[in-house]
Amino acid sequence: MTDNVFREEVRAFLEESLTPDISRAGELMTSVFADFDATMKWHRILHAKGWIAPDWPEEYGGTGWTLNQRYIFQEECKLANAPAFPAMGLQMLGPMLMHHGTAEQKDYYLPRILSGEDMWCQGYSEPGAGSDLASLITSAVRDGDDYLINGSKIWTSYAQHSNMIFCLVRTSKEGRPQAGISFILVDMATEGLKVEPIVGLDGTVEQCQVFFDNVRVPAVNLLGAENQGWDVAKSLLEFERGGHNFTIDHKKQMAKISKQAASQQDADNRLWQDNPVFSSKLADVAVDALALEFTELRVKGAFEAGGNAGALSSLTKVMGTEIGQRFNELSVEIMGEHALVKQLDAIQPGYEGDSIGPDCGLTTMAEYINNRASTIYGGSAEIQRDIIAKRVLRL
Amino acid sequence: MFIEYSEEQTMLHDSADKYLRENYSFENRQATVKQSRGFSAEQWQMFADLGWLGMTFEEEAGGFGGGALETMILCEQFGKYLVLEPYLESVVLVGGLISVGAQPAIKEHYLSGLMAGELQGALAYLEEGNVANPHYVETKAEVTGDGYVLNGSKAVVLNGPEADMFLVSARVGDSSIDAKEGISLFVVDKSRQGLHCNNYKTYDGRSACELQLDNVALNADALVGEIGNASAMAAPIFSRAIVAVCAEAVGAMDALLEATVDYTKQRKQFGQSISSFQVLRHRMVDMYMEIELTRSLLMATAWKLDNGSEDAEQCVAALKAKVGKAGRYVSHNAIQLHGGIGTTDEFSVGHYFKRLAAIGVMFGSRDSHLSRYMQA
Repeated sequence: MTDNVFREEVRAFLEESLTPDISRAGELMTSVFADFDATMKWHRILHAKGWIAPDWPEEYGGTGWTLNQRYIFQEECKLANAPAFPAMGLQMLGPMLMHHGTAEQKDYYLPRILSGEDMWCQGYSEPGAGSDLASLITSAVRDGDDYLINGSKIWTSYAQHSNMIFCLVRTSKEGRPQAGISFILVDMATEGLKVEPIVGLDGTVEQCQVFFDNVRVPAVNLLGAENQGWDVAKSLLEFERGGHNFTIDHKKQMAKISKQAASQQDADNRLWQDNPVFSSKLADVAVDALALEFTELRVKGAFEAGGNAGALSSLTKVMGTEIGQRFNELSVEIMGEHALVKQLDAIQPGYEGDSIGPDCGLTTMAEYINNRASTIYGGSAEIQRDIIAKRVLRL
Repeated sequence: MFIEYSEEQTMLHDSADKYLRENYSFENRQATVKQSRGFSAEQWQMFADLGWLGMTFEEEAGGFGGGALETMILCEQFGKYLVLEPYLESVVLVGGLISVGAQPAIKEHYLSGLMAGELQGALAYLEEGNVANPHYVETKAEVTGDGYVLNGSKAVVLNGPEADMFLVSARVGDSSIDAKEGISLFVVDKSRQGLHCNNYKTYDGRSACELQLDNVALNADALVGEIGNASAMAAPIFSRAIVAVCAEAVGAMDALLEATVDYTKQRKQFGQSISSFQVLRHRMVDMYMEIELTRSLLMATAWKLDNGSEDAEQCVAALKAKVGKAGRYVSHNAIQLHGGIGTTDEFSVGHYFKRLAAIGVMFGSRDSHLSRYMQA
């Protein structure tokens, strides 16, 4: 099948299955997450179609598509405003289970990720361990066939919607800090586990803190061997970095800004698109976004050739998020005071009332505020620069 | 997309890198700069013998049929070793224009000379009235019974002092002085009566001249391309030239980053290598990222030009704008991180900086290309 025929097939499917209430949720996304109920509705539709995990190998429920087809699918979904899926299960834990899991773990957990029955969150960061993740202290102490977990995890995205959490825990204090860490899968209904929401700057809850008070977890829930958790997590972090395609996000941002600049006026009653100062700033970001697009194609080309674009993945994370933030700033400049109106109801997909101000600016401030986190999560921009300095420049 | 290099392209890259690494030291280059010619005739002859000068000409003309990708591969190495020889002026610009527009006998004569390394050319297209606009042409070409007579003056003719022949743009007829239409291009041998060159050096170690034309009489076959159509004819050649200088810039930036990384590892202050300081490490990472973004844009643009992609011209504008920004960022910080030594004539870093500054102003500045990008 040619790529164009494939693209047509995807479009036809989206046309039929991506109902307006679901795509409205995608349109109103103000962060990497869309409205949860709409997201799960879309999850079940894609699962029924067999398209929920295009990146997975076919034997585990993948689609068997080429890299190009996967890219096209991702692009068409985003451009049609399909809600994005939380990465924790499908993109992060799934591949790790495939690499490090026992046969029983794979048979049990993978189908439940595909169906949406299990919603996973990631228990890595702690109040005292962020960029220096290896200094984590949440402990798991062996007690018969179980571990007893005590401590706390923070910045746990979507813990409030999750029934499962994968955690890095300390199982030894011997040797290097990395050498005493284990990777464990925890049912969040277990006694002693408590989730506290954290309200973000935009007024919504995406992050939580999770507390463990003598939480008893069967030892068979270890992923990989005891004290080998750091290696499991490291490959997961690399997956997290390489797995995101920023160009599609940037294209959506650019389309939004073009719409705003073609309808909103500046202080001299010109459309913003005719304001030379604004235009030159937008051009500058657009050129960097184009350069990043070709860099992502280089990364993709390296993967296709069976290689690894290693360092370029860190680069795309840093540049992708920083370019995204520059687009956010330009949107705020266009929308002016309209951007101030806090109307959280109106950015819910099912909202039927009136909204205040131009529709093209409904999410502007929320996106701007929320996206400050993008250069912090998944390895901060500074940590990424440290990685490039060490691994690429050999400094 | 994305680009996989052919075996021939990989060989071209490797052999150019190897030859220049072994035969083009910075010390020799600086000795060459100080000579009156400003480049090495022996090197130029080697470039011809290695097949580089004919690389991008069509096979019927005796070349190897290479395109923008081959131009990019060669020029990136020229940038890395800070090559002085006028490949851009003689081969990319003059050779390119002769190749697409000159009449058969003229074309044969000049192309074989250029490829053999026996001829130097220079494109005289800018004028003092507005160097930002290549269509600003006051120079007049008057049609006579058996040819043309040219009058006017040309500014900043790169490689002019070394050129055996010029390509000169002039207006035939009554179009306004900055109209895109109405410009024609002529081959003018340096020996023609009425040509006056005011020669000088440029800050990047090369040579140029101001060119005066007083009643320069030309035969009818001196016309390159159709009358009044030089702008359209030259557009793809300028795109190729932009790829050439941007590739040179990427090579130069690579060299600067490598030098900076090495230097900061060796240089000790406060009892440790200054490369251990995070503020400097992150600065070098930012240099690296600017270079890689530029490289991606460069590769894509060259590929798109060779494949006739619809958005190729828009990518050319983006590329030149990006090189303007990245070239400054990388060269400024290379000097900054080298400290005092980076500001001296003795050390290589400043010379890369000056070449990048030259590339920054050539064929349209960053700002002019940003606005071109948004208009496309």
